[in-house]
This record gives sequence, structure tokens and C-alpha cells, in this order.
Amino acid sequence: MPSEPALRVEGVSLAHNLPGLDELVHAGEIVGLAGLDGHGQDAFLETLAGLRAPVDGRVLVRHGSAGYVEIDDFRHATRLGIAYLARDRRANGIFPSLSILDNFSMVTLGRDRRFGLISTRARRERFERYRERLSIVAPGGNKPITALSGGNQQKVLLARWLAREPRILLLNDPTRGVDQRTRETLYQAFRDLARQEGMALVVLSSELEEIFRLCDRLLVFREQSLVATFSGADMNSSTVIAAMFGRVA
Amino acid sequence: MNVLSGLGANTRRTLGAIAMALVLLLLGSLAIEGFGAPFAIRSMLVLATFIAVASIGQTLVVLLGGIDLSIPFVIGFANVVAASLYGDGMAFWLVCFVVALLSMAIGALNGALSSFLRIHPLIVTLGVGTTVQGIVLMWTGGLPTGSAPAYLSEFVSIGGTIGPLPVPWVVPCFAVMAIFVHVMLARTPFGRQVYALGSNPTAAPLALIDPHRIVIVSYALSALFAALAGILLLGFTGSAYGDVGQPYLFQTIAAVVIGGTALVGGRGSLVGTIAGSAVLIELNTFLIGLGLAPSTVQAALGIVILALVSIYGREAHVRTLI
Amino acid sequence: MTAAAPIAGSTPARSHGIGALLAGRRESAPALVILVVLLIVDLWLNRAWMLPDSWGTIIGLAGPTMAAAIASMPAIMAGRGGIDVSIGPLMGFINIILVKVLAGDLGIDQPWVLVPVALAIGALVGLLNGLLSAVLRIQPIVATLGTYLVLSGVTLSLLPAPEGAAPAWLKTLAGPYSIVPLAGMAAIWLLAKRLTVYDWLMACGSDDRACFTAGVPVTGVRVFAYTLGGLFAGAGGLLLSALLGSADPNVGPTFTLVAISGVALGGVSLAGGRGGFAAAALGAAVIFLLQSTLTYFNVSSFLLHTLYGVILVASVSLNALTGRIAGGSR
Repeated sequence: MPSEPALRVEGVSLAHNLPGLDELVHAGEIVGLAGLDGHGQDAFLETLAGLRAPVDGRVLVRHGSAGYVEIDDFRHATRLGIAYLARDRRANGIFPSLSILDNFSMVTLGRDRRFGLISTRARRERFERYRERLSIVAPGGNKPITALSGGNQQKVLLARWLAREPRILLLNDPTRGVDQRTRETLYQAFRDLARQEGMALVVLSSELEEIFRLCDRLLVFREQSLVATFSGADMNSSTVIAAMFGRVA
Repeated sequence: MNVLSGLGANTRRTLGAIAMALVLLLLGSLAIEGFGAPFAIRSMLVLATFIAVASIGQTLVVLLGGIDLSIPFVIGFANVVAASLYGDGMAFWLVCFVVALLSMAIGALNGALSSFLRIHPLIVTLGVGTTVQGIVLMWTGGLPTGSAPAYLSEFVSIGGTIGPLPVPWVVPCFAVMAIFVHVMLARTPFGRQVYALGSNPTAAPLALIDPHRIVIVSYALSALFAALAGILLLGFTGSAYGDVGQPYLFQTIAAVVIGGTALVGGRGSLVGTIAGSAVLIELNTFLIGLGLAPSTVQAALGIVILALVSIYGREAHVRTLI
Repeated sequence: MTAAAPIAGSTPARSHGIGALLAGRRESAPALVILVVLLIVDLWLNRAWMLPDSWGTIIGLAGPTMAAAIASMPAIMAGRGGIDVSIGPLMGFINIILVKVLAGDLGIDQPWVLVPVALAIGALVGLLNGLLSAVLRIQPIVATLGTYLVLSGVTLSLLPAPEGAAPAWLKTLAGPYSIVPLAGMAAIWLLAKRLTVYDWLMACGSDDRACFTAGVPVTGVRVFAYTLGGLFAGAGGLLLSALLGSADPNVGPTFTLVAISGVALGGVSLAGGRGGFAAAALGAAVIFLLQSTLTYFNVSSFLLHTLYGVILVASVSLNALTGRIAGGSR
């Protein structure tokens, strides 16, 4: 593991009168977030993305020669190499009346410009790369996104952010409502991104099974605080569930 | 290349509007003597161009899921201000520049109020529009004023020609402008973001779209095109009149909807709106050609719009939205 | 002591004396403040307004505006872009049918004919609007724009210029009995509030998808909203005829935008799900008082127009701002 972490969380607290939380996320690492609904893991992930200002503390991203830069807001965070795949793709992800290609390219619109105009060809070529890599089953890029299955829609949204070549990928329950086969593809993709490309991944999941299969480390939240960190053999259903419910295992 | 920049339902609606415009042209020529005559076609072209110019902006804001009721008032404002400034001896290009700037400020105000304060654009544009109209009325006393340069009148005159071509300059100029706007919507990041914001306002900020910027720019553009319509109408009527825009309140909305753009945002096209403008003028001419009184024409127009929209402009059932 | 709990529980509800009408809606507060200020100014300027004898006339003057706003309210509350822009022309159409066609041409001027006819036309056109927008699923603003054009066109065809005289009994609705139609509308609304359909209406306005999943007949609820609005417009037609005292084909359509402004001013959310009778009536009353105050000062109708736009924008902006502050402090 590289010596310098990709993401540094310094004294972040999610609610008033709570002690700050320090955490490091390294390149090539997959960190899981878990907790009962509404116990702070969502807020923590959104804080990492710059979508929510922490009550106290700061989030820093390693940014080339500049060293560590504190993130201000979501836009700033994405410029520093963070990508955030939101929960609930229908509400927060897809643009239902637009095409697959439009949906894919929405955060990278500038990259297909030739003489100021979007080149449909450049855009399609770019999409093809991700279509193969994530094995997206799509009839044709000009079809509406709603013509795809839920799993393939989710893959397009992942491709949308991967196209920005982020160094830190934040995933909010990425396999909810996705079929088993697509899940396997996504898991493989997440592992490859971490192992081969050295991306740092933070995955919030409501399914422990998923976390055990993917993550190197797991942070469990309870009542807006980090209550336990697991890794290796310590990370199993009984210990994690006990932590989630606030019991001693 | 897909010229219509659309997808299944989108393209179908646009094509529906174009087909309707052609069918009406055919029906009119068959049923009414003189409907297909060159002069009638020319006058329909020019009148449809006015509606289309004013409707470009309405299309933009409707694509965002908004609506602009200030268009008629901005038309009147531009009409009166341009005539009065020109009457005072200002160079006409400068007049246009000033009017464009003022109108865009009005539009930007519409956008900023509805975007930052999250007030329904219907109310914002109605309120801002009424204020603008009031100011214009106070200024002119409600009477026609000012004048238009002769070349502007020639530019929009139904009898105008371009060399051997029997159309005034405004028609080809509009065509070029329409292509520009169409390309802007279809092939620039701004255009795609307009569609995306209209399609899913919640997802837009998470896809790095700045809603405020898009909304403000779109409403400013809407006002700009309304002002352009106002200046063209000044050339058409020869003198300024604050209420000249009144018919365009509902006509722009009707043109957009007949053109297949959904009022909920995210679906539609400028091509459809232009076809919708043609349909409106053809219908009007057709009904007058049948010998109906203006009031009856209005009633019949209402029925026909309802019939047209019920054929291809229907909304999705709530069950399909779950 | 066992009775203490329920009494204590009911106290907050009672303490909303005036608020009960507004159902404690924060959105209506700016309009209420403006209303009180304008009312004080008007009473001070116009001492005659304090005499109970003149109240009937004042309410008669405000009646058509208030009725138009109240009639516009149910469709807007039903949500998903619901709106009825045909309310104004509908009132104008009813005016022509009552005064020109029935009383003038046919000589039928008994109240027991004219009142039911007015209400029936209103409800039928409302029903038609409801069917067009909810069943046929034409976007509401377009559907009602269609009926707007049809109604105003037919009205002008029936009667190109103002003429005729309203029956004497009808004119009393702009005088001593002007409160009757408004009270009738309020009674209908209070009755509707006791029905399940009212809860459905509020729920559909907030989230029609959730409603549909929960088995609420969304389409039927919307048709009901438009029909109720049409019925109110019927009463508005009576008030308009009473105030005009004649048949005038040009006045009706002007009420559409005034009505929508009034509704927004009163704090009815144009996104649906929030508002009510009192809010719409309040907004319309503000517009009426504003007009009468400015008219007293002999302000030109042009300045009146400007101020009216400014106040509309200012008050909805204020509403939104206070909403933000209130929301932020939570």
C-alpha cells in the first residue's frame, strides 16, 4: 500500500457535540460503510463528496504537487478527482427522457467537443470503451436510457463517472435493485478499479454480504459516530451486526 | 446523422407536428380558393415567422419544465422602447443592442427569482411581465408612438423579395437563426444540460449541472427572442404599440405544445415548435378562409388545438411514472 | 383530572382563532399582513366603508375577483401542473347566457332558473376541463387554454358588444346580498372538506405517484377538482353579472390572470398540495383592496398596473424568503 493516503478525514463530526473522526483512505483500497438506516453512514459519505458540510473538521484530498487540498463543495471535490455515484438511480441518477449517450456523457460534456460542438462520434467512441469494459447490454447509444434494464442503467451511471478518471470513487449503495449477474460484473469492476488502477473506493452498502465480498476494511456507524472498524477475520456477520446494534459481540 | 436530435417519442411528436403542418397546407389548398396562392403562402410564412421567433424562448424554458408568461410584455416593451429610441435619433444598431441588453436583464431577473427563490415561474414571469407592461404604459400613455426605419419594414414586409425569391429577408434570416439555436440545443454542453435539467432536476446538480446558471441564461435568452419579435413587429406595423405582444401569450405556448414539447420538461424540440407555429397560422388562415367571423375563428381554434394535442401531445399516465 | 389531557390537547387548535381559517399556513402570512394594512388605509380614506350599509356594495365589488381566485384554486391544488386558465372566460360566458340569452332574448329571469343554470354551466365546463386534462391527459394549461379560446370565442359570437340589463334581483347580489354567493361557496368548500375526496385532493397535489400506488383514484380526484372550480366559477358568473348589471363579452377573460395572481398571493402553492379557500379569497381580497386604494389616490391605471406587478413579485419573493429562513432554522 502506498505510504500517502488518497483521502484524509480530519476531525470530522456529523452532529453537534460529537467527537471528531479521523480516517485515512489509501489508493487501491476498498473501504465499506455500514450502519442501520440513518445512523450517519450516508451523511459521512456525502461529507466525503462535499455534498454536505461537516459540523466540524475537514476532508482533504491528495492533489498532485499541491499536496493535500481541503474540499469546499461537491463541484470542487469532483475537480480534485472524486466521483460520487448517488443512491436511487431513478431519483438522483438518470435523466429519463435523454439517450444513453447523453446520460453517459453528462459530467464529461466538454471532452467530445470538436470546434465547439459535441461530436457524436467522439462521444460514441468514448462510450464504447466503457460499454465493453462494464459489459453494458445496450441496443444503441441513441435509445432512451429507460430502454435499459435497471442493472444496465446503473452501469451507464458508473461509466458516466469513470469517464472522468477519478482517483477516489464514492459509491452509495451501488447494487440496490440490480440483478445478481450484473452485481457480479460490478463487483469485478470495483475490484479491478482498486487493484489494477489504484483507485480508492468507499462503498456504502445495505447488504453485509456485499461488504464482506468487496471491502478490505469496514467502518460501522451508530448514532452519527464511527463505532467500530473491522478488517480481515474480525469482519464477520456477528461482529458487524453487534456493532450496528450497539452490542458487545 | 439524426437531424431531429430526438429519441423515439420525441421524434414522433416532432414529426407529428410537421405532418400536421403539411396536411393543413394540402387541405387548405384543396378546400379554399387562394389558400395555396403565392401571396397567401408568403403572408403565412411571415406571420408564422413572428410566432416562431417569439416561441424559441418559450421552447427553451418549457424544456426546463418552466414557462414564460412575460413574453408578450417583453415584446411590447422592446417594440415601444426601440421605436422611441429610434425616434429620438439613435442609430438603429445601437437601439437593437440597448433593447437586447434591457430585455435580457428582464429575463435574467425572471430566471434568478424563480431559480434562487424557487418560486413557480408562472407567477414570477406574470408578475415581472405585468410590471414591465405597466412601465411601458406609463411611458407611452397607452398610445402608439415612434417609428421604424424603412429598411426594417422592408425586411419583414409580406411583399418583400430577395432578388428573384418572393420572400422577405426575415424568412431566410430566421431559418439561419433557427439552425443556430437547434445546434445549440443538440450539440453544445449548454443545450444538453437544458434537456437534462428539465428531465430530472434532482439529478442535475449531482451530474455537475449548475441549475441557476442554466435557468437564468435560458430565461434571458427567452426575453432576448421576445425582444427580437417585438422589433420585427415594429417593422411590420410601422409604429409602436405596447399591447402588440398580447396575442403571443397563448400563441407561443400553443406553438410549443402543438410542436410536441412536453410542459413538464426534458422532451421536445425547436423544429417541432416551428412546425407548431406554422400549424397555428395555417389554421387561422384556413378558418378565416371558411368565412368565419374572428370570434368564431377563435372558438374553432380552441377546439382544433384540443383535438391536435389529444392526438399526439398527451401526457403519460401516472401509473407509468412509478 | 382525567379530562385535563384532552382539553390541554385541544387548546393549541383553539388558539388559532383567525388562523383556523388559514389552517395555520405560514404561506398566507404576508398576504394577511398586506390585507390588514390596506384595510386600515382604506377605512381611513373612505369613512363610508365603516357604515355597515355599504359593506354589501364593497363585497359586491370584490366578489367577482374573489370568486375567480377561489374557482382557480382547486385545479392548482390538485398538482402536476394543474391549472384552469378558462375561469375568466367561463364567468364571462355565464354572464352572457344569463343576461343576454336567458333574461334578454328569452325573457326568463327568475332566480330559481338563473342560479341553477349558472352553477350547472360552471360545473359542466369544469367537468369538461377535468376530463380533458385528467382523462384525456392533455397538459392542463393547454386543455384549459383550449376551453378559454372556445368560451371567449362563443361569447363574442353571441354578443359582440355590451348590452342588456340584469334582472333587479340579480343586481342585489352586488349590493345588500353580495355575501350570499360567497357564503354559499364557503359552505360548499366546508362540505367538501368533510369528504374523503378532499384528503385525496391534498394528497394528490403533494405526491400523485404515492397516491396512485396507495389506490387513490387520482384521475377521479382531478376531475372533481376541476368540476368544483367550475361550480365556483358559476357563482362567480352570478357575481360578475350582478356587478356589471348588463351583459359584457370583454370583461370575463381579464379575470384569469388576476385570479391566478390572487391565488399565488394568498399562498396557494402552484406546485399543488398546499392552499385552500381562505388563502385564495385572501389573495383576491388583497388585489381588490390594492386596486381600490390606488384608485382613491387617482393613480393612473398604468401605475396601478405596475404596482400590482411589483407587489405580486415582492410578496411571493418574501414568501419564499421567509420560507427559507423558517426552513433553515429547523
